[in-house]
Amino acid sequence: MATEPEDIQNLVNQRYKHGFVTDIATESLPPGLDEDVIRAISARKDEPEFMLEWRLRAYRQWLDMQEPTWAHVDYEPIDYNAISYFAAPKSDEDRPKSLDEVDPKLLETYDKLGIPLHERARLAGVAVDAVFDSVSVATTFKDKLSEAGVIFCSFSEAVKDHPELVRKYLGSVVPQRDNFFAALNSAVFSDGSFVYIPKGVRCPMELSTYFRINAENTGQFERTLIVADEGSYVSYLEGCTAPMRDENQLHAAVVELVALEGAEIKYSTVQNWYPGDEDGNGGIYNFVTKRGDCRGRDSKISWTQVETGSAITWKYPSCILRGENSVGEFYSVAVANNRQQADTGTKMIHIGKNTRSTIVSKGISAGRAQNAYRGLVKILPQASGARNHTQCDSLLIGKTCGAHTFPYMEVKHPSAKVEHEATTSKISADQLFYCRQRGISEEDAVNMIVNGFCKEVFRELPMEFAVEAQNLLNVSLEGAVG
Amino acid sequence: MTRGLKDNTMLNIDNLHVRTGEADILKGLSLEIGAGEVHAIMGPNGSGKSTLAQAIAGHEDYDITAGRIEFDGKDIAELDPEERAREGIFLGFQYPVEIPGVNNAYLLKAALNAKRKHDGQEEIDAFEFLKLAKEKMALLGMDPQFLNRGVNEGFSGGEKKRNEILQMAVLEPRLAILDETDSGLDIDALKAVAEGVNALRSEDRAIVLVTHYQRLLDYITPDFVHVLSNGRIVHSGDKTLATELEQRGYDWVAQAAAG
Amino acid sequence: MNGVDLTRLRAHVGGLAASSLDAARKRALKALETDGLPSTRHEDWKYTDLADVAAISDAWLTRPHTPTATAAGDAFIDELKSAADIDWLLLRNGSIEALYAAAPEGIVTSRLSENPPPDAPTNALTALNTALIADGLVIQVDANPERPLGLLFLDDADDDRAALSQTRVDIRVAAGSAVDIVEYHASFGDSPHYSNAVLTLDLGENALARHLRVQNRGRGHSLTQRLDVALAASARFQSAAFDLGGKLTRNDLAVDLAARGAGAEFDGLYLTGEGQHMDNHTRVDHRVGPATSRQAYRGILFGRARGVWNGKAVVHEGADGTDAEQENHNLLLSEHAEIDTKPELEIYAEDVRCSHGTTVGQLDEKALFYLRSRGLSGDEARRLLVRAFAARTIEALPFSALDVHLETLLDTRLAEIKDITVSL
Repeated sequence: MATEPEDIQNLVNQRYKHGFVTDIATESLPPGLDEDVIRAISARKDEPEFMLEWRLRAYRQWLDMQEPTWAHVDYEPIDYNAISYFAAPKSDEDRPKSLDEVDPKLLETYDKLGIPLHERARLAGVAVDAVFDSVSVATTFKDKLSEAGVIFCSFSEAVKDHPELVRKYLGSVVPQRDNFFAALNSAVFSDGSFVYIPKGVRCPMELSTYFRINAENTGQFERTLIVADEGSYVSYLEGCTAPMRDENQLHAAVVELVALEGAEIKYSTVQNWYPGDEDGNGGIYNFVTKRGDCRGRDSKISWTQVETGSAITWKYPSCILRGENSVGEFYSVAVANNRQQADTGTKMIHIGKNTRSTIVSKGISAGRAQNAYRGLVKILPQASGARNHTQCDSLLIGKTCGAHTFPYMEVKHPSAKVEHEATTSKISADQLFYCRQRGISEEDAVNMIVNGFCKEVFRELPMEFAVEAQNLLNVSLEGAVG
Repeated sequence: MTRGLKDNTMLNIDNLHVRTGEADILKGLSLEIGAGEVHAIMGPNGSGKSTLAQAIAGHEDYDITAGRIEFDGKDIAELDPEERAREGIFLGFQYPVEIPGVNNAYLLKAALNAKRKHDGQEEIDAFEFLKLAKEKMALLGMDPQFLNRGVNEGFSGGEKKRNEILQMAVLEPRLAILDETDSGLDIDALKAVAEGVNALRSEDRAIVLVTHYQRLLDYITPDFVHVLSNGRIVHSGDKTLATELEQRGYDWVAQAAAG
Repeated sequence: MNGVDLTRLRAHVGGLAASSLDAARKRALKALETDGLPSTRHEDWKYTDLADVAAISDAWLTRPHTPTATAAGDAFIDELKSAADIDWLLLRNGSIEALYAAAPEGIVTSRLSENPPPDAPTNALTALNTALIADGLVIQVDANPERPLGLLFLDDADDDRAALSQTRVDIRVAAGSAVDIVEYHASFGDSPHYSNAVLTLDLGENALARHLRVQNRGRGHSLTQRLDVALAASARFQSAAFDLGGKLTRNDLAVDLAARGAGAEFDGLYLTGEGQHMDNHTRVDHRVGPATSRQAYRGILFGRARGVWNGKAVVHEGADGTDAEQENHNLLLSEHAEIDTKPELEIYAEDVRCSHGTTVGQLDEKALFYLRSRGLSGDEARRLLVRAFAARTIEALPFSALDVHLETLLDTRLAEIKDITVSL
């Protein structure tokens, strides 16, 4: 009989499901980074002059910056000159206009991931802008979206077709020199998504991007910009999986959200980059800057994330609550198993009056993993009536993992109400025995208990995403209990 | 005791010795329970009542150092708790554990389907399950809202015990062991629990009531009453034994047994 | 080094009377030369800037002197002596004196220089202390003293010259002994003053220390203080700390639970008003289990005040059976007050029960309304609720020797809150 936590750890043992390499030839730049590389990226993407200048400015700032060391993570120094900063599928010149024209191998890849793209798109009414090795290859449902006036395209297209919007909003939430990785991204970003929801429009469908890192030694630097104009609403889903690989890969994305007066943006992520093997070989370094700006009054930005992948996760999706009565939310499940390291959380910066924020963070640590919540709630002197509630829970599976909580609260207004609660627990032998006495296998019991622990976050996810997230969690913890 | 004295024997415990931690709790306990019977196991605190229940259910903290537990003529010592459960052994816990965030309905449906699968039946779908669960809840006088709450999360003592009975009603075990299900219940809850148990009494089912007091037996009439003392059954009788115990206390039986 | 001239520091240390502490002084000096005093870029000093106290230290090093006793200081000593039945040791302007006639039973005092040299400093302020102290006090507790043992840290600033004091006290409580300790920080005068106190408390097996700390220094005077508590098996540490005075105050309390069954419970209350900066940093190391720690700090901030609270619990690998709780509650009563609070958990074990709760808020509107409906004025009702908020820490006092004195102090301080009527 096996109910001891160590036994539980052995129960689950499924290989990383999404580990395979798609065999599409890529046309990459040689490794290394200097101004010429940046010019080459910009030229290859046929960018206007302002974009090149912007990139170069970011690059020069990056040269002066230091890689951050404060996070509770530990990794070998990254050689930024050993990374190739551009990779594109061969078919770049002649991009498919519809799914029928998409390289069947790519579609096969999606099938392996369990994401039948067209099926899913048609049935679920989801438009998909699939970023494959840095360049968008398929965008669907454009017509329906453009009817509503919604712009949903690759970042490269936006630079060409909507330069005025890009100029106005790019870098307005995450400035070029915000941090080391954001500066690097600003200099070399390859592609990503751009969304603009016009005034008063409720986006007719959930927007979704699946992307994956595919070419060897290619750091991927996505850039996402979502602008919700006054009174608009959009729900955006981002999910990612990555192929199995031995070398560490750098992923340094930047996501900027702008919500104008009365607008609402819901941004959901399921992150499942390759976490490395049981001994910590391989795996993605996921150093992401995500920030939303509630620029207008009564605006709302809600981040929901399920982080199960990556060898190292360093991300703090944040909200700047500038507009009066604006609302920021952060719901997070972060799983770290084997040798994974996660340092994640959020920042809620209350600037406007009567701004409110909610933080719910669920961290699960297993194996020899380290999982840290790091958060900042800052109430500025003018933010009268600000409210924050933070709930931060850790679940420990096994005796060799770590669970850490570093919440910063800085309050400069007497009418603020800030509350922080944290708990730490483990899956108890009593809980397992209870479930097993009802005929449920130990493995199912563990999954059930873990999913119960994460419930408050899962219910924030769109339905189909929630199911995927639960499955991911079960897969991620395989081998954890026992 | 020799095995299979009765022709309806379901559970046969023979010379059972159980140890937990450093302590020997059961020291040669023998008991035979037949289908259709209701047995009450009584005894003072620390006599080993809960240990017996946990050992039958297969809790790993309880080591069987000697003797056998047979269910349907098969030794179940090597079976995992979930396998015993699927065979039809149900333990109503004295202290049902809270499992935050796990929906009551979800656990119950998973448990029912695990059993159905084991029995070669098709899994029940959500709609049918809900119908079944609501039926049983109506019988027990429970609010259907109950299903949407976390397992035992924030439940009162009485709610927890009713929940155990609900699970029993839905899972329809062949052998139900109710460990101190009456403790901490007010009179209304006690009646509801008793009604639930009585509704389950049938020819092919056995019920074991582990209890300290005679109170529950006012509502569920046992066929047999056993007194457990110092790890063994020291006295067995019919329902009148319970009344006698209530009047004369446990010391009387223990002394009688010793003498 | 951050505001302190190294040449002057070196010269001063070189000029101290030769003692068995020389090697420790040199080592401390070396550490300071390498690392200096921490700046606000240092995570542990993010919210507290040592520039001012470094400047005072430097000014004092330029013209070192020892202030002379003042009448105010003398009167205060008399007041304390009559307030409670406590055996006081007086640490005044760098010199040490016993105020009791006969040594209390079970207590043996000696000079630091008569003992084996102290461990290498683990931080810059202890290094500064070790480099500059003329000598320190070692207290050995071998029985259960009848009365509480008092440590009165008193600084007189009798003129307008910058003054600096460094004190060190090591307390060792033998296995099975129990002692009550009062640690009282007070200062008088108007000149800039900086005091840096280093205390250690070693508790043997089954030993018990009940500790009461009161800090009511002059409003122009700054204090940095560190108390390291080490607990052997089944030892217990119970403490309540009250910070009322001072300009910049920084308390570091580190509790090391190195053996099974050890337990630490500590409470703190800070009343921080106009021009004050109050920083509490606590750290609990759970090295083995089972062991228990509970801490509850409450802060009332008014005027242009800044409060900092950083509580850290580290549960080391293998420390299963740990039970750690942290709480910090703050009342912000003025528009210009600020609180930075950070409850941290670092957990490397599985079978642990850790929790923390932090709140920043105001008085309960419903309670206010209730009290007003019973006829209290708005101001009275608010003061009553503020008093009730503070009372939670007073209720947690580990022993009662000084409670009347303490309540009077608190009420005086609470009465000074002017802008309590801030609109909410």
